[in-house]
Amino acid sequence: MSAPALARPAPAKPGRVLPFPVTGQEVVLLVVIAVLWAALAVTTPAFATEGSIVPLLVAMTPIALIGIGMTVVIVTGGIDVSVGSIVMVCAVVIAKAMVGSGIPLPAAVALGMAVGALLGLVNGALIAYGRVQAIIITFGTLNLFRFAGLQVFGSATVEGIPGTLAPFGRGDAGRTLGVPHSFVVLLVVAAIAWYYLRHTPGGRHFFAIGGDADAARLAGISVRARIVLGYVVTGLLAGVAACFVIAQGTSSLAASVGSGLELSVIAAVVIGGTSITGGRGSVLGTLLGALLVQTVRTGVTQLGWPSQLSDLFVGVFIIVAVGADLLRQRRRPTGKRTT
Amino acid sequence: MAGAPRLAVSGIAKRFGAVRALRNADLVVDAGSVHALVGENGAGKSTLIKILSGAETADAGTTAFDGQEVTIGSTTAAMALGVATVYQEPQLFADLTVAENVFTGREITRAGRVDWPAQNARVTELLDLIGLPARYATVAVGTLSIAEQQQVSIAKALAGDARLLILDEPSAILTDTEIEVLFGVVRRLAASGVAIVYISHRLDELFTIADVVTVMRDGETIGTWPIAELSVRRIAELMVGGVLDDGPREHRVPDGPARLELRGLGLEGRFHDVDVAVRGGEVVGLYGLVGSGVAEIAASVYGITPATSGTLHVDGAEVRPRSPRHAKALGIGLLPSDRKQQGMFSFQPISFNISAGNLRLLSKARVFVDRRREREVARRMIERLSVKTPSERQPVSAMSGGNAQKVVLARQLVDRPGVLVLAEPTQGVDVGAKDEIHRIIAELADAGTAVLVVTSDLPEAIRISDRLHVVRDGTTTAEFGPGASQVDVLAAAAGAVEVAT
Repeated sequence: MSAPALARPAPAKPGRVLPFPVTGQEVVLLVVIAVLWAALAVTTPAFATEGSIVPLLVAMTPIALIGIGMTVVIVTGGIDVSVGSIVMVCAVVIAKAMVGSGIPLPAAVALGMAVGALLGLVNGALIAYGRVQAIIITFGTLNLFRFAGLQVFGSATVEGIPGTLAPFGRGDAGRTLGVPHSFVVLLVVAAIAWYYLRHTPGGRHFFAIGGDADAARLAGISVRARIVLGYVVTGLLAGVAACFVIAQGTSSLAASVGSGLELSVIAAVVIGGTSITGGRGSVLGTLLGALLVQTVRTGVTQLGWPSQLSDLFVGVFIIVAVGADLLRQRRRPTGKRTT
Repeated sequence: MAGAPRLAVSGIAKRFGAVRALRNADLVVDAGSVHALVGENGAGKSTLIKILSGAETADAGTTAFDGQEVTIGSTTAAMALGVATVYQEPQLFADLTVAENVFTGREITRAGRVDWPAQNARVTELLDLIGLPARYATVAVGTLSIAEQQQVSIAKALAGDARLLILDEPSAILTDTEIEVLFGVVRRLAASGVAIVYISHRLDELFTIADVVTVMRDGETIGTWPIAELSVRRIAELMVGGVLDDGPREHRVPDGPARLELRGLGLEGRFHDVDVAVRGGEVVGLYGLVGSGVAEIAASVYGITPATSGTLHVDGAEVRPRSPRHAKALGIGLLPSDRKQQGMFSFQPISFNISAGNLRLLSKARVFVDRRREREVARRMIERLSVKTPSERQPVSAMSGGNAQKVVLARQLVDRPGVLVLAEPTQGVDVGAKDEIHRIIAELADAGTAVLVVTSDLPEAIRISDRLHVVRDGTTTAEFGPGASQVDVLAAAAGAVEVAT
């Protein structure tokens, strides 16, 4: 307990008015990624080349992009396990539109965003107004959206997709001065999200809701609207990610697209230090988490190891990250009494 | 002090389902005065302040603020009027900084961006006012102690231009030094013209801080008096009302050695020097107000938060329970206070709930549960405790609170424990079931069990106890025999100077 009154407290140091923007966990992540990259560069000479790094950055963009939305959702205390299905629905709608009526790139992206946002709205509205746990609702919509997507697919795969989205692909059309466009899009979205979450009242309210939704309501925050917004943004980003997924693929699109993607996304967010119980998390952490997950995947492939090993490593990282989060929560004096 | 009072409410009523939480509340609070609101648990204080702070809306009644009739329809509306509330539970966000917590929902912004330096500067002033170090401005609230969090809640309430400040039992979790600081803040605010509604169970402190006192009982405000016209005892009488105390219970305690004994039991920062002895066949009550430490004493005997000093003895042998399971193995039967969380398997049938924890007794070769015996025991218990249910296969979640409580109690009776510790045995239970549970407790004692009942329900404490210990400020302070008067016990628990024995 601090000494009361009498001694007048020293004025706070000017400038430092927020906790340091990079957390300990993010520093640890940076170190782990650096060690992995160094180890891979030594063991497989092919790793440290442009032909390997650029595809790695391109491949992480869908995970990281959806991860930004997922960070917001998990910070509010929710979760969205339907993002893989949202990507699938968006991808098939965009692909069909490109094949059928040859829409240009901006229209394809806008279409993906619109469909994704709509599906996110379904999730958000059910969760915020139905007061059912997010994991249950989105598990339900995972199956519903997948069903809807399969209906659009018909029985076959979509074939003969034009190269409209090539500027987001792995090829030469997908980069300028060696920098992949999809990665630039990711960085721009991440920068906007980082600023919004850290420096605007609306952004801070997400953290307040995840900390204590009742207290947030008493503080005059429109909790439901915020929660819906989180899912809509996640769906919208999943729509953009669907464009990247199409661009990275071949001219045909199979119904398995997006399947299991939610697990990589949630892994990236959790490894990035976002608390699964809500209230704490960061966009920077999620980017690093996505980079780590993709590094493990790429590394395991390049080393010629069985691909299941990457699941093992990602699993270990998730458990270590969640364990660190729980330890942190146990160390603090309990904020709530039980009576 | 001329003109209309800061707040005048009259005829406020509120019903939650079948429960009439507030029947008729009138309250007039003047600017610049500290107005205490007192009443027993369930008298309607919390409901009234929830209505004033916009968290609930009244079914009937009128509210006037500075003479203007107003409707407080939401927390935002209340805040706009200048009503600031500090709830008993700090309403804070553990992962956000103190500065952020203070401004959540009314951030200072510049061009759409939170103006951190401006918020920080303002929070530094507020922290200074309430006696916390300025560096706390950028510290995450979750890392502060509960008392400091309470002080942050007050800072939060003061950040807007508070014209009416409601403090719901702010002192319950503070130490004496921290209470002094709190009182200093309250006085300064009152002097600057803020009207203050101060809710407390610690009647003694009202004489230090309050100007007037309004007493509530059974959902009604029964009157308002200047503090100078009252004493702790008088307030206790007004709170309890004209209730006739029950006559002493017909119960003879056999002589014998103590079966359960707490000798100088203490837990750092929670309670200390607690001495209680319970003989076989005896019901001993432990009564204290919220924050007195009484709940923590029960948790220690259960092994949930093991004591750090003193000793615990069962049948003369020293024991150190490390967990509820361990306490049970040591011969201490338990009925935890938070049944929903700790005591019940809601979706399982009654028979499962009764046999859980007694499976060794009810199993064949210690491996398979003997279903037939499980059912028989369950049926016997249902009959003995008059549990109202069509069948022992009914899930507990389908039952009323009182019946569910009996089921949890039944689990303890299967192996007839020598020592039984009950925490809040009738919390959330209707009156009829309450009587039955009291009868069961008496029967258990008659069968030779040593029963310790930890309760914050005053009539219950008096009614069932052969001896009653009052806990105040973390230690046992007074002891009463059977048939003590409610006023005496309440006065002792709330800190009257003249303690009756």
